[in-house]
Amino acid sequence: MKAGGAVDATDKEASKPIPIPKVRVSRVLSVLDFTLRVVAALGTLASAIAMGASRETLPFVAQFVRFRARYKDLPTLMFFVIANSIVCVYLVLSLPLSFVHIIWTAAKTSRIVLIVSDTVMMGLLTAGASAATAIVYLAHYGNSSTNWFAFCQQFNSFCGRISGSLIGSFVAITVLVLLIIIQSVAISRR
Amino acid sequence: MKSGDSTTIDVPHHEASGGGGASKGKGAILTVPARQEKGGMRRGMAIIDVVLRIGAIMAALAAAAIMGTSDQNLPFFTQFFQFEASYDDMPSFQFFLIAMSLVAGYLVLSVPFSIVSIVRPHASGIRLLLLILDVVALTLATSAAGAATAIVYLAHNGNSSSNWLAICNQFGDFCKTVSSAVVASFVTVVTVMFMILLSALALRKH
Repeated sequence: MKAGGAVDATDKEASKPIPIPKVRVSRVLSVLDFTLRVVAALGTLASAIAMGASRETLPFVAQFVRFRARYKDLPTLMFFVIANSIVCVYLVLSLPLSFVHIIWTAAKTSRIVLIVSDTVMMGLLTAGASAATAIVYLAHYGNSSTNWFAFCQQFNSFCGRISGSLIGSFVAITVLVLLIIIQSVAISRR
Repeated sequence: MKSGDSTTIDVPHHEASGGGGASKGKGAILTVPARQEKGGMRRGMAIIDVVLRIGAIMAALAAAAIMGTSDQNLPFFTQFFQFEASYDDMPSFQFFLIAMSLVAGYLVLSVPFSIVSIVRPHASGIRLLLLILDVVALTLATSAAGAATAIVYLAHNGNSSSNWLAICNQFGDFCKTVSSAVVASFVTVVTVMFMILLSALALRKH
């Protein structure tokens, strides 16, 4: 029977799994990579600006307590701002290369270059963010063994600002880890 | 001749001449499959990866051990300063110890997987898994190193704006041991970065 034969043919085709074309998956990965790069660039930019613009001047004058706090007073926070700026500039500069990968999905050497530079920048950003976190922790809680005083008790808004600026940096670190994984999956697929 | 993924050079069989004579220069040429060449290169990279992994294990264990055994008791006694310093006093150093131990433990557990990828150079699933876990370990190690470096920098130099005194002037030995632990952790970080690069290079399929 013709109708039965036709049904049999479509049944056979329907039972086979439809293979996803390799180019499409690579393209989706490349688009995801581009989007995440933009997100990470925005995160680091926000962190650098929030930390860089943080200053507070107390309205009174005391003889032994400093009455003005800026991020420049602590070299670790300055390293944090510099590291975030460097990673932000790098991410913006790598956006064209990532865009090229969307169009030309067979690129191998440029993906490896991107993985290597992403790893190095992730190391830099993580070091800066964790060093700043250690300092912010000290600012909140102090340390009794070494007589390091917690200056958050005087400078409330400065403290809140430097604590909040860490968030953008940590988001960017997570995104960079995801970027490295996406690039390596894209390399191994072709 | 079937051209799969092997490079075969098709030459006519020549019975008379033994070696490749000057006249025609034709002999049977070995067919070296391209897959075997790639496998050889990947096997070399996997061997280097195992060696680097063992080096990173030693560095991470050294960092954790040096930090764990760093305490110093001063022989004298003053009214305002504490006379004992240990890694327990700073939460950053506690985090450093825990994180470097975790990284060392992960690296030890990943050595069998790395050896499997020497034996089977074409298994890219294992390499991808090792790369992903290596990236996570890199993040952990770098954050531990960064946090400890911030505290060590403060211990060496202090901070005049917030009245934080440099404790290295009193606790010289503690400072030195903690600084060397930080250096060992940075060696771990660089080694893990090289391992990630090797895994990314070995994942390519031509």
